[in-house]
Amino acid sequence: MTNKRFWSRRELLARCGGGVAGLALADLGLAATGDAAGAAVNPLAPKAPHFAAKAKAVISIFCYGGVSQVDTFDPKPELARRAGETMVGKGEVVVSQGLPGGLLPSPWKFKKYGQCGMDVSDLFPHVGGMADDIALIRSMYCTSNDHAPALFQMNTGFILTGYPSMGSWITYGLGSENQNLPSFVVFQDWRGGPIGGAPNWSNGFMPAAYQGTPFRTNGDPIVDLRPPAEMSGDRQRKWLDLLNKLNEEHLAKNPEDSEFSARIAAHELAYRMQTHAVKAVALEQESAAIQKLYGLDEPETEYFGRQCLMARRLVERGVRFVQIYSGGGNFTESWDAHFDLELNHGMHAKETDKPLAGLLKDLKANGLLDSTLVIWHGEFGRMPISQRMNGRDHNPYGFSLWLAGGGIKGGNIVGATDEYGYKAVENRKSVNDLHATILHQMGLHHDKLTYPHNGRNFRLTDVSGSLIKEII
Amino acid sequence: MLRFILVAMVCAFGLYASPEDDAAVNVLKKNCLLCHGAAMQSSGLDLRDRDKMLKGGERGAALVPGDPSKSLIYRFAAGIDQPSMPPGKKLPEADLAVLKAWIERGGNLSAPAVVPAEDPKAALAKLEERPITEQERQFWSFRPIAKPAPPSAAANPIDAFLAAGWKAKGLTGSPRANKRTLIRRAYLDVTGLPPTVEEVRAFEADSSPDAFAKVVDRLLASPAYGERWGRHWLDLVRYADSGGYETDTDRPNVWRYRDWVVSALNKDMPYDRFVQLQIAGDEYAPGTVDAKVATGFIYLGPEANMRNEQTRMDELDDIVATTGTTMMGMTLGCARCHNHKFDPIPQKDYYQIQAVFFPSSRGEVPIVGEAEKKAFDEATKAWRAKLEPLEKELKALYAPYRDKIRQQKILQLPDFYQLALKTPPEKRTEGQKLNAIQVERQLGASRGEIESIMPPEDQEKSCHLNEQITLTELQKPVIDTAWSTVEKDGGKPKESHFLHHGSIGNKGSVMQPGVLTVASAPNALPKFPTPDPNASSSLRRKAFADWLTSPTHPLFARVMVNRIWQHHFGEGIVRTPSNFGKTGEAPTHPELLDWLASEFIDKGWSMKAMHRLMLMSDAYQMASDDIEANRKIDPTNRMLWRQARTRVEAEVLRDSVLAVAGTLDKTIGGPGVFPFIDPALFAASTKRDWPGKAETDASTFRRSIYVFSKRTIPLPMFDLFDKPDTNSACARRNRSTIATQSLILMNSGFAMHQAKMFAERLRLDVGNDVQAQVERAYEIALSRKPSARETELALGFIKNNPTGLVDFCQTMFNLNEFAYIQ
Repeated sequence: MTNKRFWSRRELLARCGGGVAGLALADLGLAATGDAAGAAVNPLAPKAPHFAAKAKAVISIFCYGGVSQVDTFDPKPELARRAGETMVGKGEVVVSQGLPGGLLPSPWKFKKYGQCGMDVSDLFPHVGGMADDIALIRSMYCTSNDHAPALFQMNTGFILTGYPSMGSWITYGLGSENQNLPSFVVFQDWRGGPIGGAPNWSNGFMPAAYQGTPFRTNGDPIVDLRPPAEMSGDRQRKWLDLLNKLNEEHLAKNPEDSEFSARIAAHELAYRMQTHAVKAVALEQESAAIQKLYGLDEPETEYFGRQCLMARRLVERGVRFVQIYSGGGNFTESWDAHFDLELNHGMHAKETDKPLAGLLKDLKANGLLDSTLVIWHGEFGRMPISQRMNGRDHNPYGFSLWLAGGGIKGGNIVGATDEYGYKAVENRKSVNDLHATILHQMGLHHDKLTYPHNGRNFRLTDVSGSLIKEII
Repeated sequence: MLRFILVAMVCAFGLYASPEDDAAVNVLKKNCLLCHGAAMQSSGLDLRDRDKMLKGGERGAALVPGDPSKSLIYRFAAGIDQPSMPPGKKLPEADLAVLKAWIERGGNLSAPAVVPAEDPKAALAKLEERPITEQERQFWSFRPIAKPAPPSAAANPIDAFLAAGWKAKGLTGSPRANKRTLIRRAYLDVTGLPPTVEEVRAFEADSSPDAFAKVVDRLLASPAYGERWGRHWLDLVRYADSGGYETDTDRPNVWRYRDWVVSALNKDMPYDRFVQLQIAGDEYAPGTVDAKVATGFIYLGPEANMRNEQTRMDELDDIVATTGTTMMGMTLGCARCHNHKFDPIPQKDYYQIQAVFFPSSRGEVPIVGEAEKKAFDEATKAWRAKLEPLEKELKALYAPYRDKIRQQKILQLPDFYQLALKTPPEKRTEGQKLNAIQVERQLGASRGEIESIMPPEDQEKSCHLNEQITLTELQKPVIDTAWSTVEKDGGKPKESHFLHHGSIGNKGSVMQPGVLTVASAPNALPKFPTPDPNASSSLRRKAFADWLTSPTHPLFARVMVNRIWQHHFGEGIVRTPSNFGKTGEAPTHPELLDWLASEFIDKGWSMKAMHRLMLMSDAYQMASDDIEANRKIDPTNRMLWRQARTRVEAEVLRDSVLAVAGTLDKTIGGPGVFPFIDPALFAASTKRDWPGKAETDASTFRRSIYVFSKRTIPLPMFDLFDKPDTNSACARRNRSTIATQSLILMNSGFAMHQAKMFAERLRLDVGNDVQAQVERAYEIALSRKPSARETELALGFIKNNPTGLVDFCQTMFNLNEFAYIQ
């Protein structure tokens, strides 16, 4: 580059990412490719997609524990007609816990919503109101009926632990448009997080740059975002200035070492993140009407509503991937309704229905829905038969999920389960298919986005995946 | 009756089958039935009769009469759907036309298609064969290791090999690093800790020619060497202290394996023995504590919540893949579902190596002597004898109340459940049977429920008994165990199979134990012994380890010397250290690699001898600064004209902070420790916990290798600084530079507390003279004196800020120079 041996702090910072949204790094040619030693220098510098993208950001709403399809988006009158009877003609009925009970009718009624006439149960009246923006897939299946493997599959494409999550793949593929915030953000439920913990938003074998950053819903969003209280005023800014000057001395010896420059820039980014991250989640800046739209004025919806509103503010600021978990811990704390389905799903749906609809409406009103892909899903569905009399066991063979925004065709229903809602039978869609479609909306070819590990080029979609063409 | 038979036949074979139809059947027989017939129903598809074709397999109907475009038989054969069938060859156009016409006519069969005349077992076995060609054996990493003569007579042959490379490319080697840089490099590299001020000064003052040799010897003799290089090995064997997945169960004894690794390295256990004991310690040295602990290696991987055939196959895959990449630099795992796409690794090799581990299982075995074991067994018996009567008494006390609650609960059930229960079991419908079982599971009563309906005297009895039981349970005798490997079937191992497409639904031939064929000389495959049926194990792992660790194995030594080189020089001679196959990188210095491998074997597999050889080379002692002329020719330093500049690993960074702050607790070994983690990061499930101590708790200031490694709750500092996720082998860590790393060093209570401790140390060392403090801080943290400019900046800062010294100390932890080996 140059033979210059000494830079002023201002020059240095300008060179190392002090400019707008880290563009200076990209200008330096220090972008995602990596330096001499093969270490990525700014792994989060924005990268061009493979082709013109429909969506810029993804919001994944993960209803952890597994939502019952027959009680939400896939009505099955046959269950009421044959209440208590054995489910026959479906081969071996595989349950994860205990023995299968008889067919269990849904305690909720279904209504038709939107011009498309989508059947949605009374659990989700507000979401139902957005039916014409939603593409509903009723024929999803996955390959494990155990929480952790199924969560991993939904998040990473593999039922085994140790693979990069979808958010990691997308930030790896596209970088981030805002260097002052993490590119992949995770919100957990107030009752705790999902089974399997951090591997659900892990970078797997990719560099740490691509891991999900857990955000708190109250107080400072990121752990260690700000120094302990005693480091008050401009005390930290002062020692960071000293740090920069001393680092300059060191850099002068090897001015071409981009790793050194990048680390200096990272400290400055971190310093800016302290204010940017706090501003990004400053919900008091939102009008009362908007807060109400997300249900912040009601105790049941307040927590999840805050997360949804924060998600909108984050994607607005260029964050690539936001995941919000509804449900945490075990059993009733999550959607895992092994018993008392009515209480369980009633509670979780109440907490999330209004904020979800609020999120879609708000994104739409702001013109963000076109470029933001919202996915609502669990890790599997639930059985049409009873467990412990009034609950439902796990069901990986058939379940529903929906997508909205990001170029997805709304008012659209894909596939079907059998007469009981047990197995997907028509136009079956795998998790790989879902992932392929999400990547496609982000402008990425799922079969070309690869990362090498232990001698193999891995993909989010492993060795399969077909686009769900009906909805794009 | 006749009509019934006719109807049945019409369904099974279709109508009006003709000779043309028979031609189609022949195409199916020839191309499809091996995998979709009697021997195997790949993808759940069976093409033996028409009903089965109509029903189809996992992907749907194979035959839609009259419509080839909807018939999967045709779609896959024509390559419309992928993967095209039959695998690996294209169906001739004529045959495809026959199939198409046949489907258009209705897809009728005159008779059930049957498997080819050949014995299906023999046909399967043939399908599983994948011979190795002579050309494949000539790939560089499979050729026997020769010991090339160094190209010139340098004192250290390493330098001769490197100099030849520089000469060929017009490069000049870098000058020797200054003494302070060199000793800091050697300390961080060999022990993972910075040198003390006294050690640096002594080395600087020592003008004898063997000054550096003395440092090297001292470092290699330090117990910190095993802690540092043991960590490299733990990356390769996916070491963690818990099982991952849903419950992420702690493995409270697995630290013994970690300590075994550290101690083996410190003792300079020969590398061949080191690996032999990990694969088959129980078979090499039955009964020894070391052997029980070392075989912990095999089952270090994550453990699924559900145990079934599939998760067992995944577990074995983890073992085969880890053994392949770690010991041989071969991606064996890629051959689980098909022959390796790039390397000569037949799928059969995979399943033969899997058969080596198949008889084994995880076992937590006592590591105490016979007498102690006997005492434990007796104590356990006595303990049970005490507990059981109490439990019995409680059960009897509860029985009448339990029954009462049960009857009450039944009355509250919906009618159809009550009816199911009232119906005598033999008269229940299928649905009632299931419902009755469901209900039974709901009729139990908790202690609270029972006590709530008890009269006071029984309540008191219940409380008393429960207390007695709890107290007795606490007295359960315990025994020290190791995370280990056992063979439950001893000398009579169960059979394992070749799995076509890696699927448990597609079992092929029974597999005998075997090895990686291409890494054995032709016709020199090792013989696996037939064990005595009464033996305690199959002896398969020992035979495998004998083959693996043989001096004639082309990969075993090459892979390990490359790993040692990689950590000393920043990158390996092969820069893909766990992939010595075609998709890996070729060695930058193939002759040097072979010379080192031969030397490794000649010196009895001594790892310390290898370290010494490399550390004592001129190459190791070069400066790491750029030389502009060289950069232009070889910007990525492939020819190693300068030493590497490498950011230290997460653990070295944390350990350096502790060492510099003067808080490091150098205790060696033992159970893991739990430093502070913000609960917001792990309040993930009620099933898991992290009993973290305060950030100021000195008991957590141990070396990072002793931090409990919980698969689902990583320490943020480790996680952000690229410590691998412990779920698969990691041979070369990523090296990210991201803002969230900076947040930890800027804002965490850990960084702040250690900065205070460092400041305190400086005051104790040199008093309140600010200039002396600055000089001392540089010497401790960076092993050098500050420049005039640095002193000026630091002095100005400390003097003008009331918290100047503490903040200056935290600045030191954040410096680039602090985080890099140069």
